[in-house]
Amino acid sequence: MARERPSETATARPVAVRCTDVTHEYGGRSSWLGSDAGRSVTALRDVSLEIRSNEVVGLTGPSGSGKSTVLHAIAGLVVPTAGTVELLGTDLTTRSETERTRLRRESVGLVFQQFHLLPALSAAANVALPLVQLGYGRRDRRTRARELLEQVGLGDRVDHRPGELSGGEQQRVAIARSLVTDPDVVLADEPTGELDTETGMAILALLVDVADERTVVLATHDERAVDRMHRVVRLLDGEVIDDGR
Amino acid sequence: MIRQRLFAIARLSAAQLRHDVGRTLLVILAIGLAVLAVTLLAGLGIGVLETGEERFAEADQDVWITGDAVELTAAGGMENPIPDSHRLADDIEARDDVTGASPLAFHAVYAGTEPDDLEVVSGVGVPGEHGGMTLEAGDGFSEGNVHYGDGDYDGPMTYEVILDPQMAERIDADVGDTIYVGTSPETASTHEFTVVGISETYSQFLGTSTLTMPLSELQQIAGTTGADRATYVTVTVADGADRDAVSDDLQEQYPEYEVRTSEEQLESMVEQQILLLASGVALVVLAVLAGIILTVNLLALVAAQQRRELAALRAIGLSRGLITALIGGQGIVLGLCGGVLGLLATPAAAFALNRLAASLVGFENLLRTPPEIYLVGFAIAVGVGTIGAVVAGWRASVYTRFEHLAG
Repeated sequence: MARERPSETATARPVAVRCTDVTHEYGGRSSWLGSDAGRSVTALRDVSLEIRSNEVVGLTGPSGSGKSTVLHAIAGLVVPTAGTVELLGTDLTTRSETERTRLRRESVGLVFQQFHLLPALSAAANVALPLVQLGYGRRDRRTRARELLEQVGLGDRVDHRPGELSGGEQQRVAIARSLVTDPDVVLADEPTGELDTETGMAILALLVDVADERTVVLATHDERAVDRMHRVVRLLDGEVIDDGR
Repeated sequence: MIRQRLFAIARLSAAQLRHDVGRTLLVILAIGLAVLAVTLLAGLGIGVLETGEERFAEADQDVWITGDAVELTAAGGMENPIPDSHRLADDIEARDDVTGASPLAFHAVYAGTEPDDLEVVSGVGVPGEHGGMTLEAGDGFSEGNVHYGDGDYDGPMTYEVILDPQMAERIDADVGDTIYVGTSPETASTHEFTVVGISETYSQFLGTSTLTMPLSELQQIAGTTGADRATYVTVTVADGADRDAVSDDLQEQYPEYEVRTSEEQLESMVEQQILLLASGVALVVLAVLAGIILTVNLLALVAAQQRRELAALRAIGLSRGLITALIGGQGIVLGLCGGVLGLLATPAAAFALNRLAASLVGFENLLRTPPEIYLVGFAIAVGVGTIGAVVAGWRASVYTRFEHLAG
């Protein structure tokens, strides 16, 4: 059961994400060696979706259902073959890669299943990496990273490297990194996929808690995760089969 | 903002390198060795040229006349392409614009304090006055050019020799001792010479052990008196005369010989060592290439191992340029560290090699390392690091594709 949305009515909030008739196919490109259109895979079919600010939305479905592709399209990591994707009022399908990257940098936090932390850097340095791009000074980066790590319960682990942390702790670092630029939207792709059940639930709770006042879209195949969502969108074979408003 | 980013990239690069200390040290060592190879070989080149210039200056001869290419043979002698050398020297000395002309011959000889314990050294035949030699011990040749005193070889042999210090020490001979000298072991046992001086003048000139004696006596024991052969005829130009003009005039007068000024003669001798020079350059190129390959290999490996992390960094909004700089910055750090290592090692290595060269060939301070050498070495280090950085950065940018985020 989806968690009840607090206070405001959903329709009163502005739309943070809007997908309209989104279709995406992988492969099928032509090259001088010839066309491989016969091997193309349709990952999404006419997906339409609206997510309002501060909503916590779960995308669920079995493996291969297209939930990660929806998430990547919302992040601007892939440009759909057809349809449009608007993020915070910007149509990503008409923007260059550089523009999409800038929008992600300023407005989107990303959490991955496999954490993707640089092994040579401390937890604090990993969290602070996005701030390097924004030109923050060393002290400011350090202070901000420490704040975030304390927020995710790793205040005593700031100088530890990923190899010295458990899987759950590494995902906490990744969550802290996703929030370090204070984004409007947090996108998480199977954030509990590499974790045991107990740790996974704790991470999920943490993600929803620390993402307070932000829009959160979370792709997961774990049905237990839906309890923490305001809304659950179910996908199957690249199509939305249920939008649990 | 740019400064903040640069500092951050430097710190992050250093942290990345510290993560794998063994591999990092290996690359720094490789770049350091490349830099060291450059500084030492360049220092050797400079030293050889400067030493050559100094020796020619000390010889105080303005013009050198010889046949075709003259080169020290493996046996320690040289070709002696100038026949009738005494007469040629006399003819040249008769000119108004010349104050002196002397034949000079080199011939491999066997020498030792015992007839059955001989070594091969370069025998140098000089005019009886042995002008220009600086003696460290002894009084030198006592009777001058008596063997050829009357323009023939009928005068008495003095049987006097001057040894270079290394050879004297090696065969344990000193002034007043008797040694055996000949152009073969058999003839050496029949020729007893007295050591009348110790001088490194010619060993410093040739870079090998030398034994010096009056020219005509060297020709006598070598059996070349009939042709009166010499390697060089050296000419001292009169004060106020134009050395280049005298050289050109002599060349015109004696077209069968090569007439060169001191500088031209040095250039000619260096050019004859082209194979040696090419080998040195090849060694430097190989060392630099090895440094580049190791650097690129390390950084490309780091980029490949972290392709998912790099793609994730791109996904969270880091620009391609910053990601490239994060990996490429390591190349710059490696280059700088390797450069510093190579430059710090240069003085010690140069000192050790100079000691070795002095003991082997008698040249003092053969390898010279002026500040320019250090600049070149550092530039090489930065160049190696930069090439490594560019290639690794390019690989890193290739790995920022989002496909790497899957699986």
